[in-house]
Amino acid sequence: MMRRRWILPALCGIVLGLTAHAAGAADPAAIKEKAEQCSGCHGENGISQTENIPSLAGQPDQFIQWQLVFFRSGARKNELMQPIVEQITNEDIRNLGAYFAALTPPKVSKPDDNPDLSQKGAQAAVGRRCNSCHTDTFAGTKAVARIAGQREEYLVKALHDYKSGVRSGGAGAAMTDVAYPLSDEEITALAHYLAHL
Amino acid sequence: MKSAFNRCILALAAIAVVAGAGQASAQSKLKSYQSGTKEFWTHPPDDWFLGDETEAQKGLAPPSGPPTGSSDAELAALIKKIKLPEGFKIEVYASGVLAARQMAWGDKGTLFVGSFGLGNVYAITDNGGKKEVKTILKGLNMPTGLAYRDGALYVIAVNKLIKYENAEANLANLGEGKVVYDDMPSYAAHGWKYLAADKDGWFYVPFGPPFNVGIPPTSVSQIRRVDPKTGNAELVALGVRNSVGGDVDPRTGKYWFTENARDWMSDDIPSDKLNMISKMGEHFGYPYCHQGDTPDPKFAMGHKCSEFTPPVLNLGAHVAPLGMKFYTGSQFPASYKNNILIAEHGSWNRHKYQGARIVRVIVDPDGKNAKQEVFASGWIEGDQGYLGRPDDIILDKDGSILVADDWAGAIYRISYKK
Repeated sequence: MMRRRWILPALCGIVLGLTAHAAGAADPAAIKEKAEQCSGCHGENGISQTENIPSLAGQPDQFIQWQLVFFRSGARKNELMQPIVEQITNEDIRNLGAYFAALTPPKVSKPDDNPDLSQKGAQAAVGRRCNSCHTDTFAGTKAVARIAGQREEYLVKALHDYKSGVRSGGAGAAMTDVAYPLSDEEITALAHYLAHL
Repeated sequence: MKSAFNRCILALAAIAVVAGAGQASAQSKLKSYQSGTKEFWTHPPDDWFLGDETEAQKGLAPPSGPPTGSSDAELAALIKKIKLPEGFKIEVYASGVLAARQMAWGDKGTLFVGSFGLGNVYAITDNGGKKEVKTILKGLNMPTGLAYRDGALYVIAVNKLIKYENAEANLANLGEGKVVYDDMPSYAAHGWKYLAADKDGWFYVPFGPPFNVGIPPTSVSQIRRVDPKTGNAELVALGVRNSVGGDVDPRTGKYWFTENARDWMSDDIPSDKLNMISKMGEHFGYPYCHQGDTPDPKFAMGHKCSEFTPPVLNLGAHVAPLGMKFYTGSQFPASYKNNILIAEHGSWNRHKYQGARIVRVIVDPDGKNAKQEVFASGWIEGDQGYLGRPDDIILDKDGSILVADDWAGAIYRISYKK
């Protein structure tokens, strides 16, 4: 079995590997092994403990798959993800989508330390009609991401990336339009609100 | 470059998002856009195709396919469901050809395949009977159309016709290519194209309007004939909405093309069309008149349908005819000779999907006595579900046909044996 390794820069500071052979029938142990190689950055059980790295647990299956397809084709650019997914097979992508979708989404452990900010965020979410794609519980659906319970600083980063056009892959086109008029205050409030759902 | 990338993934991403929105968008008010402005053409909202939403058709949106196409197991199950006439057989030729669109043969037997929002171009080669799919170009702007002439691969990516010399010998590294024609607008909406070469090596190239319906910019809603050697071009047809398929009639040398009619009128009108260009500069009616007999409720503006060239055949509403080929092989029964086979992509703006099949059109060289029958079907599941969506057809050397499917990310082969 061929195994490739990439050494990633300081942000993760660890060695990741993804097998690049063509996967046969889905083997739960093999999928778990493969997915565990994501855990260095994305956290145990898909719940990230790392700044600016999103949690993947409970993300919709299709959302995970699209992002991997976009990273692989270069339509979504990220220097950490690109080398990892370059050799990934369609079978791997389907398996990883199913794996992360089945994990229990992050639960908020800390109490909301700024309910006023959350209140503002909730208003902004209504005003910007976030729920029309992300659903009323913000759990996402199909190709649309779960944003409830996502890491707060990652939500800030993602919204800024959309706003500035840095992020264009995946649902980027839709989010670029939505994020463009957002003020920094709104982004801060939205991220705080969504992270504490 | 970045904005090109945005545009490149726009269609795919928007479709994914809208499909994800589903119920929620049905609760909000009707979508309406002022599409007759340059700002709209150059920066369309992501859901530009929803801009003429009506109460009756509310909530309909393009469905999002599986991101990685269909697995081999799913394809094996799927082809068992495809219905064909007696004596015909369908098999999977290649899988993992994500978002597969127009196909073209290289001289040495490489099958080149374009794609939609993913921006990939693929080369499929035969390795001891096993088909190998390689991504040979990445990051192009909706490279749906391609052709192969005199050793060169031509790819059309919205506003660039790019030539890759000696392509088959350089599959591992095609290089940047050379832009041989770019007098085309960059509008993303209906900006994806198709290439059909005539005997002189000029390409027929369709230009769709950057919206559902309206007075189109003068550079689009037309078909041009483009010489890739000189970059010269001539206008051959006007009043064309979204055409993504056509072929030159082996009997007459005339260009025939499929055309997708406007959305949001109803489930059953207007019909999509099969057209033929008899003389240069003919006007096919858009946006004034649809399906040869139905003035547009808003944009007819006093025009009568009799002013325009009628279709050879109305194919049906929301069937979405795309790639088409005259059958010039000798494997199929003799009655198929010079018939037209059309890949129909299927509906999104209709409550009960139709299309997603291959139809056979039998028609005289002058366009008279046209009739159609279903050749291959079975890609629709339920009222609004797809197992696959055919979008292009090409003949193989042995007279069988290959069919591209951008939903399943697969190429099928259909052959006949007495």
